[in-house]
Amino acid sequence: MAYEPVLTKHCAARDGYTLDFYVKNQRGYEGLRKALALQPNDIIEQVKASGLRGRGGAGFPTGMKWQFVLKDTPKPKYICCNADESEPGTFKDHVLMERNPHLLIEGCAISCYAIGAKVAYIYIRGEFYHVQEVLEAEIEKAYKAGFLGRNILGSGFDCDVFVHRGAGAYEAGEETALIESLEGKRAQPRIKPPFPAVAGLYQCPTAVNNVETLCNVPLIVLNGPEWFASLGPEKNGGPKLFCISGHVKRPGVYETSMHTTLRELVFGEQFAGGMIDERPFKAIIPGGSSVPLLLEQDLDTPASFDHIQKAGSLLGSAGLIVMNDSVCAVWLAMNLLHFYRHESCGKCTPCREGTDWLFKLLLRLESGDGQPKDLDLLFGVSTNIVGKTLCAFGDAAATPVLSTMKLFRGEYEAHVREGRCTLPAPWRAAHPVVAAHQ
Amino acid sequence: METVTLTIDGTQITVPKGRTVLQAAIEAGISVPYYCYHPGISIDGSCRVCIVKIEKMGKLQTSCSTVCTDGMVVHTREADVVEARAGVFEFLLLNHPLDCPVCDKGGECPLQDFSYTFGPAESRMDFPRRVFDGEGVKADVDFGPTLMLNRNRCILCTRCVRFMKEVDGDAQIGIVDRGAGSEIATFEERGVHSLISGNLMDVCPVGAILTKDYRFKTRPWDNPGVVDTICTLCSKGCNTSAWLKAKPEWARGSQLIRMTPRFNADVNNYWMCDIGRFTYHWAEGDTRLRKPMLRPSTSPGQAPLEPAAWRDVEPKLRDRIQDAGSQDPASVRFLVSAHASTEELYVLKQLVEGLLGNDGARAVTVTWTRSDKRQPEGTKFKVPGTDAPNVNGAKDLGFEVGPGNEGMPDLTRLRTDVEAGRVKAVYVLDPGPDGSIGDVSWLVAARRSGTLPLLVVQGVLMTELAAAADIVLPGTAWVEKDGIFTNDQGRVQASSRAIAPPGEAREDWQILVSVARSLGLTMPYETSNDVRRALATSKPGTGYAEADHLLFTRPVPARNWLQASNPSERWKWDFLFQDLPPVKGHSVQMEGVPAQETSIPLKPVG
Amino acid sequence: MSFHPKMEYAPARFHKSARTLPDPGGDFTYTAENQAKFDANVQRYPPDQRKSAILYALYLAQRQQGFLTRAAMAHVAGQIRCTTADVEDVVSYYTMFYTKPVGTYVLNVCRTLSCALLGAERVTEAISEKLGIKVGETDASGMFTLIEVECLGACDRAPVVMVNDDWEERLAPEQVGEFIDHVRAKGRAAFTGCHLHKEK
Repeated sequence: MAYEPVLTKHCAARDGYTLDFYVKNQRGYEGLRKALALQPNDIIEQVKASGLRGRGGAGFPTGMKWQFVLKDTPKPKYICCNADESEPGTFKDHVLMERNPHLLIEGCAISCYAIGAKVAYIYIRGEFYHVQEVLEAEIEKAYKAGFLGRNILGSGFDCDVFVHRGAGAYEAGEETALIESLEGKRAQPRIKPPFPAVAGLYQCPTAVNNVETLCNVPLIVLNGPEWFASLGPEKNGGPKLFCISGHVKRPGVYETSMHTTLRELVFGEQFAGGMIDERPFKAIIPGGSSVPLLLEQDLDTPASFDHIQKAGSLLGSAGLIVMNDSVCAVWLAMNLLHFYRHESCGKCTPCREGTDWLFKLLLRLESGDGQPKDLDLLFGVSTNIVGKTLCAFGDAAATPVLSTMKLFRGEYEAHVREGRCTLPAPWRAAHPVVAAHQ
Repeated sequence: METVTLTIDGTQITVPKGRTVLQAAIEAGISVPYYCYHPGISIDGSCRVCIVKIEKMGKLQTSCSTVCTDGMVVHTREADVVEARAGVFEFLLLNHPLDCPVCDKGGECPLQDFSYTFGPAESRMDFPRRVFDGEGVKADVDFGPTLMLNRNRCILCTRCVRFMKEVDGDAQIGIVDRGAGSEIATFEERGVHSLISGNLMDVCPVGAILTKDYRFKTRPWDNPGVVDTICTLCSKGCNTSAWLKAKPEWARGSQLIRMTPRFNADVNNYWMCDIGRFTYHWAEGDTRLRKPMLRPSTSPGQAPLEPAAWRDVEPKLRDRIQDAGSQDPASVRFLVSAHASTEELYVLKQLVEGLLGNDGARAVTVTWTRSDKRQPEGTKFKVPGTDAPNVNGAKDLGFEVGPGNEGMPDLTRLRTDVEAGRVKAVYVLDPGPDGSIGDVSWLVAARRSGTLPLLVVQGVLMTELAAAADIVLPGTAWVEKDGIFTNDQGRVQASSRAIAPPGEAREDWQILVSVARSLGLTMPYETSNDVRRALATSKPGTGYAEADHLLFTRPVPARNWLQASNPSERWKWDFLFQDLPPVKGHSVQMEGVPAQETSIPLKPVG
Repeated sequence: MSFHPKMEYAPARFHKSARTLPDPGGDFTYTAENQAKFDANVQRYPPDQRKSAILYALYLAQRQQGFLTRAAMAHVAGQIRCTTADVEDVVSYYTMFYTKPVGTYVLNVCRTLSCALLGAERVTEAISEKLGIKVGETDASGMFTLIEVECLGACDRAPVVMVNDDWEERLAPEQVGEFIDHVRAKGRAAFTGCHLHKEK
C-alpha cells in the first residue's frame, strides 16, 4: 500500500511555503472555513475520534487534552504551539514550519476555535531564526488575507497567532517549562497538578501542542477522523514524520504511516537507504535521545507508539538515530549525558546533581580511569533519578545510561578492564577534551 | 469546616480540607523531611525530599504539593520510599561542603537533622566537590549589610528567592546559570537590601545565608534557654524568641545571643524585621544604668552624678518631689515613653491620680518616635512607623495620645510649660533604647539653664537626658521584666523576663510603687501580677480582663535541643517533638543507657 | 543604599564573590528604532504581563550592543518593569545571551549525537586548530568565537554549525579550513544556509 504524503507533499516545491500555493494546491484554509461552521465541541470530538496522539514525544491523545481545558471560566484560554524542537535527532517541525507554515497557522486557528482561545503563541526555539522569519512573514500574509485577526471569514471568531522566540533551552520543550518561559521566567517546570489545561499560561486554561500535532488538525477537519485513523495501525493513525539521521545513506525527514517498520525506514530505498559505507548496523534510538535503544532484532517492529513501546522503547518524537558498529556504547552515553547535564534546568535535586554526577562518571570511564564499582554506581545513580524528578527530563537523562548498560554491558566492562576506550572511531575527536564543558 | 480523612502509615488522620499530605503528616506527628516547603511561602516541589508513596498514584509523589483527599492511603516508611528518599539525600549532600564544624547552622540544621534520620549512611561520591568561590577561605561572601552568603552550602531550595519575591515584594535574589552550576545571586553581587532581610537566615535550611550578627557567636547546645517574648521596638509587637547563651564563670559577654521570630498567625506570621532582630545589644551594653545616681548639688552643671544606694536615693527623691509640688501639685509633670509596659502605666496612673485627683492623667505626657520604614510596595510584611510598643496601652488607660499609632505625639503643652518655667519637676520614664523617647534636647537645655529645677529620669541607659538629670533610677529593659503591651491591632501581648536586670536595677513598676508609697499613697502591689489583677478588675470585658491569667514563659532548657533549635522549624517542633527522644547518635544522656566514659578523667577541683 | 538602623553588631565586611560579573558597560538605552520594536512586541501579551517580552527585549539589546552588559540588563529591567535580579536570572539561564564580548561571527558547533556521529568533534578540533583558540575563546582578530552547542535540530545535515543566526550545514572536518577562509573573505554570503532555503 503506497503511502501518499499529506504533510510534506509540497515541501520540495520552490514556493511551497507561500499562501497562494497553499490555497491553490493544498485546499488552504478550507479546513478553517469548515471548522468555523461547526461547533467548537464538534471539532474536539472529531480530533478525539481520529485518535491523534501528541507528536512532541509523549503521545498523549490530543482530543483528550483539549477536552480537559477548562471551559467554564471567564479567564481567556490559550494555545501554545511547542516549536522548541530540541530533542536530539528530531528535526521534523523545522521542515513543517519552513516549508509548510500555513498548515501550522491554520492548525493553530482551528485549535484556538476548538478550545475557545483567541490567542496562540508559537514558542519557537531561538536557534530557528531563519525559520521564524519565514513563519512570521507568512503569518502576516494570513492576517492580510483575513485568515487571522478579527472576524475571520465573517464568522465572528477572532484569533491572533504570535511567534515567541526562545533563547536556547531544551527544557523549554516541557509544557509547563514552556509556559514559564513564555511568562518571561527561566524555563523550569511547574508541579502538576494543576495541569496547564486548568491553570497554564498566566494561570489560564492552556493547551500545549507540538507543531506536527497542530499540522494534522486541518487535515482531520477536511478529510474526517476515519480517514486519519485509517492511515496507520489501530490507535496509531494518521500521517507520521520520521526524522532519520546518523550512519545512514540518506538522512532526512520521511513521511509515512506508522505501519512502516523500522527496518524499512532504515534500509528502505525510498527512505534512508541503508547504512553508509555498508558498515553493519549496531543499534537505533527510535524516538529521540530520551528513549531506550533497540537492536537489530527489533527492527521489524512497526514504527508506531504502541508497537515500539511493546518492543521496549518509545516512539517519542520519532527522531531515529542509527548507529553502526563504530559507535562505542560508553561514548554514546557520555555524549548524551553531556547534553542532559548542559540542559538540566537545575530546579529539582536528583536531576541537577544526578546528571552532573553521571556525566563525570561516564567521562572518567570513557577516558580509561573507570573502576569496577563505577558500573554499579552508574546503575544506582540512574535508578535514583528515575521517577523522582519534577519532570520527565530526569527519566530521559537516565535512559541512555540504563539502556546502554543493559544492552552493551560488555563494552562498559571492557573499558574498566582495559583502562581505555575499546572502540575509538575515526569520526571522533583526535584529542578528546577531558575537562568539563564550558 | 470541611474535613477529609486519610491514612498515613496506618494511622487515620482527619484534617481540614485543602491541607497537603505533608502538613497532615506533620500535624499528626509523623516525621517527613522537607526543604523547599515553608508554610509562609509558596509551594515549589523542587527538593524532592518529601516524596512518599500514595496508593493509586503511579510514581512517588511530593507530599508538600499533594492535597489530601478522602480515603487516601499514604506510606512514608516503606522500603522503596526509604530508599528513594535516601537517594535524594545522597544527591543533596553530593556537593555539600563538609563545613559543619565552622558553619553557624550546625546543631540546628535541618540538613543535618533530616539527612541523619533519612539519608544514606555514606556517600558514594568520589569526585572533588563543586566550589563556587575558589579555594581556601573565600567561601563566605558579602550578601548585603546584614547577611553573608556561602554558596557552596546552598542546596537550591529557592526559599530565599521566593521569600524575597512574595513576602518582601522585591525580587532581589535570583538564580544564576542553570543545572549543576546554579547558584543564588543578587544583581551585581550588591547583596540583599531589605528591612526584613534577617528572615532569610531563618528560611535558609542550611548555612548558606547567615546573619553577620550571629556569625561564630555560639552553638545551639550552648544556648541553655530560649524564652518566648515579644519585640518592643515598634507597635507591631512581633512575637519573638530571645536566645540566651551559657555564661560559665570563665567566659564573659552578653547573655542575649539573638532574637528570632515566633509564629503568630494574627500578628507577624513567621517573620520579624531587622530592627527588632538586630537591635537588642543595647540591653546589655556598657551604658546600662546599674545603680541609682544622685547629683549632690542642686545647681545645674555643678557636680557630676554619683552612684548612690536605693535607700539613700529614695528619701531624697521624695523630698525633692514634694518640694517641687508643694505650691502647685500640677507643676510636677511626667514624660513617659510609650515603651513603658501597661503595668508601669497603670501604676503611674494610680500615682498621678493619687497626687492630683481624677484629672491626674493630664500631668502625664506620652511620647514616642516614628520613623520611615522604607519597604517595597508589594510587601506582605509591613513594619509600622510607630517606634514604640504600647501607645495603645497608654490610650486604653486614659492617657492623652493624640493620633496614637497613626501619628506623632504632641509635646507642645509640656514643652511650653517647661520653657516658661511653670514646671517645677519632670519625672521621665524611659525604659526603651536610646532615642526612643524622641527629641528631648529642649528638656536637657531647660534643666541646664535652671528653668527646670528638678529632672528625674527612670530609665535603662545613660542617655544625654539621664546625664542631665538630678536623680537617675535604673529600670529594666523589656527582656528583664514580665510586661504586657498592646499592639496596633489592639492585641494584648506579653514580654517575659528572660534575664536578670543588671546591677541594682529594679523593675519599673516596682520603682513607681516605691515612689508612690514614699509620697504617702497606698499601693497594694507586691508582684507584677498584683498590678495586672488590679488592671483586669478595672477593665472587665476588655482585652485586659484576663491580664492576671497570662502565662509568662521562662527559658526553656535545651535538654532536647531539637525543641529549642531551628527557629524556622519551630512551628513544627511545637507540634512534633515535645516528648520524643533525641536524635539518634547524639550524646545527650538517654534513659537506661549507661553513661559514656569521658575521654579525659575529670579531677575534682580542690 | 541601605536603610538599616544603626547596627550595633560587629561591622563585618566580607569579601566580594569571585564569580566574574558581566561587564558594567556604559550607559545603555534603546535606539529609537529598537524602542519602537519593543513597544510593538509588548502589545502581543496581556497588559499586566510585560515580563513575557523579556526575551525579545534582551535580543534587541544584544543586537544593539553585541553582548549584554549590566547597564543593558538594568535598562531592560526598566522596560519590563521587573527587578534587575530577575533579568540577570533569565540572561544567565538561556545560552543564546552573551555577557562577554564575542567575535563578529560566533561559530556554534553542534556536538550532540547525530552531528557527533558524523564528525562534529573533529570539526571543533579543526576550527580550534585553524584559529588557534580553545572552545569558548575569541580569536586574535576578534572575528571568530568558537562555542559548542547542543542539538540544533538539523541532524540529517550533520555536522551543523550555526554562525550568529545563520546556518552552515554538512560541514565536514576537512572543509573547515576552506570555510573559515571563505567567511573571512565573503562574510555572510559564505554560508550555505539551511538547505531548505535552496533547492535540494
